[in-house]
Amino acid sequence: MTLHIVSKSPFSSSALSDCANAVRDGDALLLIEDGVYALSREMPEKLAAAKLYCLAADAAARGLAVPGSIEAIDDARWVSLCTEHHPVVSWFK
Amino acid sequence: MPRPAGHFTIWQSMKFSLAVYGAPHASQSAATALRFARALLAAGHELYRVFFYCDGVHNGSALSAPPQDEADIAEGWQALQRAHKLDLVVCIAAAQRRGVLNSSEANRLEKPAANLAEGFELAGLGQLADAAVNSDRLITFGQ
Amino acid sequence: MANRTLAICRQAPYGSALAREGLEAVLAAAAMDQSPELLFVNDGVFQLLDGQEPAAIEQKSLQRNLQALPMFGVETLHVCKLSLSQRGIDPAQLQITGAEIVLVVDVGKFIAGFDIALNF
Repeated sequence: MTLHIVSKSPFSSSALSDCANAVRDGDALLLIEDGVYALSREMPEKLAAAKLYCLAADAAARGLAVPGSIEAIDDARWVSLCTEHHPVVSWFK
Repeated sequence: MPRPAGHFTIWQSMKFSLAVYGAPHASQSAATALRFARALLAAGHELYRVFFYCDGVHNGSALSAPPQDEADIAEGWQALQRAHKLDLVVCIAAAQRRGVLNSSEANRLEKPAANLAEGFELAGLGQLADAAVNSDRLITFGQ
Repeated sequence: MANRTLAICRQAPYGSALAREGLEAVLAAAAMDQSPELLFVNDGVFQLLDGQEPAAIEQKSLQRNLQALPMFGVETLHVCKLSLSQRGIDPAQLQITGAEIVLVVDVGKFIAGFDIALNF
């Protein structure tokens, strides 16, 4: 299973929607940096079957609340997510 | 990380490499990469190589001087390098374009100064290909 | 077992350095006999358009890098079909001498076949 990492806001970048076209059932998606602004709107429907995570520190830094459907994680859990998935694909523009 | 297998928990140590494309103090990516590097080392994994590419080559500049109340990312990499004997590789082609040179490159290219920070080394793109072959995981930290 | 490596090219040429530096990384790997597979997706498909003449914006043509790929053993270029249709590009427009263009319909399934992804 692939781990997708999205680091740009869905309001200014196609990174999240591009990623959504490449997510399969059972993949994991992690929002980091400005990617966490995706928390402030509905996630793309194609991501319904993916496990969704966000970096808690990046959400807190930006004053965003994390909805219950998305698991807020720390850096240590991010590392373990990487060990549990391959490949790891970054969507950063 | 611990993984249940029957009643055992298997510790699976992995070999990571990181590709860093972001200049420090410009986007968040270099700072994120540094935090991730600390976290994976703290968890007991191996960091095979950090490859600084694109604007990421600026992480290796000895001339960055951020204000004292801001995190010094270059110093952060150096401290990690000293503690863990890390292989911090700055892509030589990307660095030449952007003005990050060691003394031998500065001499060869007849430039007035060298600025590659201690703990970093200049090397070719083959080191990224090598990292892709010899690591269990390669994580990209984009611009 | 050896890692299966995929280079994912998502950026248009010329506007940023990433498309060029991505292809340079792929060529360097190919020169070491460690050719990754290549996937052009999203704006990365614009790299494959014919007739690029960037001299007037003081850049080198990226097509020379692309045409070097087959010489280094990268003979198959995987291209996302959806990305082409979203941009109104007819696959027949894409031609890289010596390389075979293979359209990918299910990008997620394709990516899942690899151990390592290089992202450009």
